[in-house]
Amino acid sequence: MTTRFARIVWFVFGAAAVFFMLSPLLLLVLFSFGRNSLASFPMRGVTFDWYRALFANQDFWVAFQNSVVVSLSVGVTSVLVGMLAAFAFARMKKRRAGPLLALLTVPLMMPPLVLALALFSAYAALHIPLSVWTVVPGQVVFIQPFVILVVYARMADFDESVIDSARDLGASPMRAFLTVTLPIIRPTVIGAALIAMALSLDEFIITYYTIGGGLTLPTLVWGMLRRSLDPSINALATLILIGTLGATMLAIRATRYRG
Amino acid sequence: MTASAATAVASRPQADRPPLVRLRGLTKSYGSMVAVKPLDLDIQSGDFYALLGPSGCGKTTLLRMIGGFTEPTAGTVEIDGVDVTRMGPERRPTNMVFQGYGLFPHMTVRQNIAYGLKLAKLPAAEVETRVKEIIGLVRLEQLAERRPDGLSGGQAQRVALARALVMRPRVLLLDEPLAALDLQLRKAMQEELRRIHRSIGGTFVFVTHDQGEAMALANRIAVMDAGACVQEGGPEEIYGAPRTRFISTFIGEANVLPGRRQGGRVTLEAGGSFADAGADEAVVVVVRPEAMALGGNLPQGAVKLTGRLADSVFLGPYVRYRVELPGGGEIILHSQDFALRHRLAVDDTVEVGWTTDVQRVLADR
Ligand SMILES: Nc1ncnc2c1ncn2[C@@H]1O[C@H](COP(=O)(O)OP(=O)(O)O)[C@@H](O)[C@H]1O
Ligand SMILES: [Mg+2]
Repeated sequence: MTTRFARIVWFVFGAAAVFFMLSPLLLLVLFSFGRNSLASFPMRGVTFDWYRALFANQDFWVAFQNSVVVSLSVGVTSVLVGMLAAFAFARMKKRRAGPLLALLTVPLMMPPLVLALALFSAYAALHIPLSVWTVVPGQVVFIQPFVILVVYARMADFDESVIDSARDLGASPMRAFLTVTLPIIRPTVIGAALIAMALSLDEFIITYYTIGGGLTLPTLVWGMLRRSLDPSINALATLILIGTLGATMLAIRATRYRG
Repeated sequence: MTASAATAVASRPQADRPPLVRLRGLTKSYGSMVAVKPLDLDIQSGDFYALLGPSGCGKTTLLRMIGGFTEPTAGTVEIDGVDVTRMGPERRPTNMVFQGYGLFPHMTVRQNIAYGLKLAKLPAAEVETRVKEIIGLVRLEQLAERRPDGLSGGQAQRVALARALVMRPRVLLLDEPLAALDLQLRKAMQEELRRIHRSIGGTFVFVTHDQGEAMALANRIAVMDAGACVQEGGPEEIYGAPRTRFISTFIGEANVLPGRRQGGRVTLEAGGSFADAGADEAVVVVVRPEAMALGGNLPQGAVKLTGRLADSVFLGPYVRYRVELPGGGEIILHSQDFALRHRLAVDDTVEVGWTTDVQRVLADR
């Protein structure tokens, strides 16, 4: 009796919590298709006008292109560097790898604002002009640790005897890596790259401080918000949401352990 | 010809041929820990060679040095007259079956087996025939398209074996090849390994901590203890003439009786004495259970001890007796005189004994 009651209470409570957390997102998506020019009920019909307006906006395409360039660069860079770092850590004794990993993941625990300001001052001090290409290293500092942690987790329980076997059967160290190690960890690497790209795609603070006059999708949202409450912002945010969720879901699928 | 020269020849029948594997002063240290002490070993072509010793004695380290996976601290590895000490595993004429098998999880059984041949850039037709041949040899036809996670332990073991054998190595190295299998499967795989060794006539070197397995498979055994090779020889030699107390108890069952040699005569702590030339020192006398005799069966001139019969068990091929000695020691004895068992009762006072030709007297160190 009590257990049944408790279950119902927990269910209602849980559903309310989930609804509370997701409702702003749902509203955002909903209003991006609404005819109203202000985000308010009742909705007066469905339209794609806001998407049309967004696609007609020149800034959107600039920002879109920059976002693609940045997130691809961040994905590739952080996976290459992160994989090498994770291999090195996996080869160390756990006792020694622990503190070093903790040190490397400090950027994760720092407020992004502090990191952004530090990068901004560093670029200024070094007289490096701000552009998309100053955004990439800045984001890598922040996103890199995720990749290291994900790949390290996989490498830590990697059975090294497959590498010995490959060498034994005539493979050079490089061949063994390409034909055995990489195929085995490929899902993890792809997953890590997608996570990195998803994080990069909606990264705002570091980007905002290090991009100078340029735009990415999140900084475009910010700029549009300051001017008006145009529902095409909702359309843009919906697109970012789809991109990020899509990449994350692909990443989860790719990294899921099979067999 | 003197007797000692005859034994030397008998124990080294192929001494005139150069050994296939020649280890000289091979050593491995990890920091201050010496895993393998300077070691000389010769392995002849065609040998089924066992490296036998308790866990942690350095067997795997030694095998990995032969295969090129662990770099020796000092010494040389020569295979077929070529010094391979500084060569990586991919350049040695050896292949290894690893303890965890190390199968490639992303390849099928067939792809696992073909991996090395494809790396060697053999023509596709030859790869196919050789893979097919070896799959037949290890009886994996039904499983060729499976992946390793769909195999049982015994099947995975055979894939690992096939993958190494298909390379036609001069020396096949096996690290505890049967340790992960249950007893029944182990016995079957022992027979399988003997059959494969016979049919391809190669040289196998394997590591084991199981003396029964070493006896069952090997024609030569190196017994290792704490990083050193303590005795090397054929199974009969090692069982029949163990050189140290450690070997006599590690290989098969043995009664080890402490005593002292004084003026050419050994006196046992449990009573009993016999003439034995040698220095005055503490000794142990080693006698196998099946070489002991009991009660009325004592031969003329036997060394005799008196004790209490504590246990007698009928084990099928023989009866196992346990006799407790007054000083606290005990004697284990195997007898095939089944009638005797009915004349004896537990708690009887009995005489046990042996003739000095079946015993080994070893310095007690
Ligand atoms: N990579 C290593 N680093 C430090 N010590 C090691 C390493 N490999 C083996 N050892 C040590 O060397 C000794 C022998 O190990 P091993 O050859 O694996 O023994 P076995 O195979 O006979 O059980 C052990 O004490 C082991 O702890
Ligand atoms: Mg071992």
